[in-house]
Amino acid sequence: MQAIEEYLVIKQCMDGNAEAYAILVERYKGMVYNIAYRMLGDAEAANDIAQESFISAYVGLKDFKRSAKFSSWLCSIAINKCRDYLRSKKDTVSIDEIAEASAAGTATPEDAACNRQMAQGIQTALNELPEDYCEAIVLKHIEGLDYKEMEDILGVSANVLKVRTHRGREMLKKLLKEGGVIDE
Amino acid sequence: MNKDMDIIHRLLDGEVPEEEKREILDRMDSDPVLKKEFNELEKALCMVKNSDRLAVPESFTSDVMRRLPACRVSPVKRIGDFLFEGRILKWNMAAALATACLLIIAFAGIFQSWEKQHPVSYINASSEPTVTVKINFYAPGAKTVSVAGNFNKWKVNENALRKQDNGVWTIEIPLKPGIYNYMFVVDGKVWMTDPNAESYRDDGFGYRNAVLKVAKL
Repeated sequence: MQAIEEYLVIKQCMDGNAEAYAILVERYKGMVYNIAYRMLGDAEAANDIAQESFISAYVGLKDFKRSAKFSSWLCSIAINKCRDYLRSKKDTVSIDEIAEASAAGTATPEDAACNRQMAQGIQTALNELPEDYCEAIVLKHIEGLDYKEMEDILGVSANVLKVRTHRGREMLKKLLKEGGVIDE
Repeated sequence: MNKDMDIIHRLLDGEVPEEEKREILDRMDSDPVLKKEFNELEKALCMVKNSDRLAVPESFTSDVMRRLPACRVSPVKRIGDFLFEGRILKWNMAAALATACLLIIAFAGIFQSWEKQHPVSYINASSEPTVTVKINFYAPGAKTVSVAGNFNKWKVNENALRKQDNGVWTIEIPLKPGIYNYMFVVDGKVWMTDPNAESYRDDGFGYRNAVLKVAKL
């Protein structure tokens, strides 16, 4: 049902009713923004990249195939933009910057310090993973996608993605232990 | 160990059948190294999965909408696509009769509007005369029927049809001469192609739009 509804929204956009696009932005902004944030470790850059992803998708709507899933197509645009950003960015993101951004998502004052420290450690570990492994872990374990959906988004076979996910998990565990986020 | 790690990852992927899972868990109980490896990986993934998601900035949607390009497809390209796109038209007697009826209604509308010099038949500053087109759709079980097309930017609530006693829904729409694509929207959600349209055009998504040609004066 959702696919049919999205197709109708896309159809309206292609016929010049740009306002209809807000429905798709509202539906997927959380997903795109958080994937970008996890990959980049920088809330401000994630906001820019997520906005640009939606704009690129809008401009390219005529190339969107009905047989594809809009969210997967949008995700692949966002991930490509993150890759380009990471390649163009020479400086690494400072830990303070990550901590500040991560604190924005914390819930209660009592848990704030603990959550901030943990979120900081997790984000640092994610950003230390090789790009391919980070993408696989974010899509599989943060966005909860299956390997078939990941295959559509990343354009890489499910078997290769499994290997990347498995290696990414082991590396992530090692990094979290080294960072003191989980006990030795 | 490599084989054991494969099993651990298959467990974490949720790909191990129940009966096999019990066997692996039993094996872990007798192998502390394997069990520790599994627990640590599971804990790491649990932490990543449950880490806070960032709240999207409030102005995100409005920022995106403000930055959208004003016009994506140039009118020249649209006209070019329409003129040069390959299409096959299949005719039958019902379609021919429907076309004839539509043209008669259209010309009657023009004649009537000229005769009465009714100001409603003129819209916009362009002063191009409009033609009143009557569209019918047989749907006795429907609660609502509206027509959406490129003449109303595919808005589903813009042009609602009125139900007649015989189950036929009808509407009269003033349109400028031109070629229009449209579909019916039944009960606000089901999109249907007009079975009596004079021709059809694939919309590129596996559906068919009905095509309505309003003759020039």
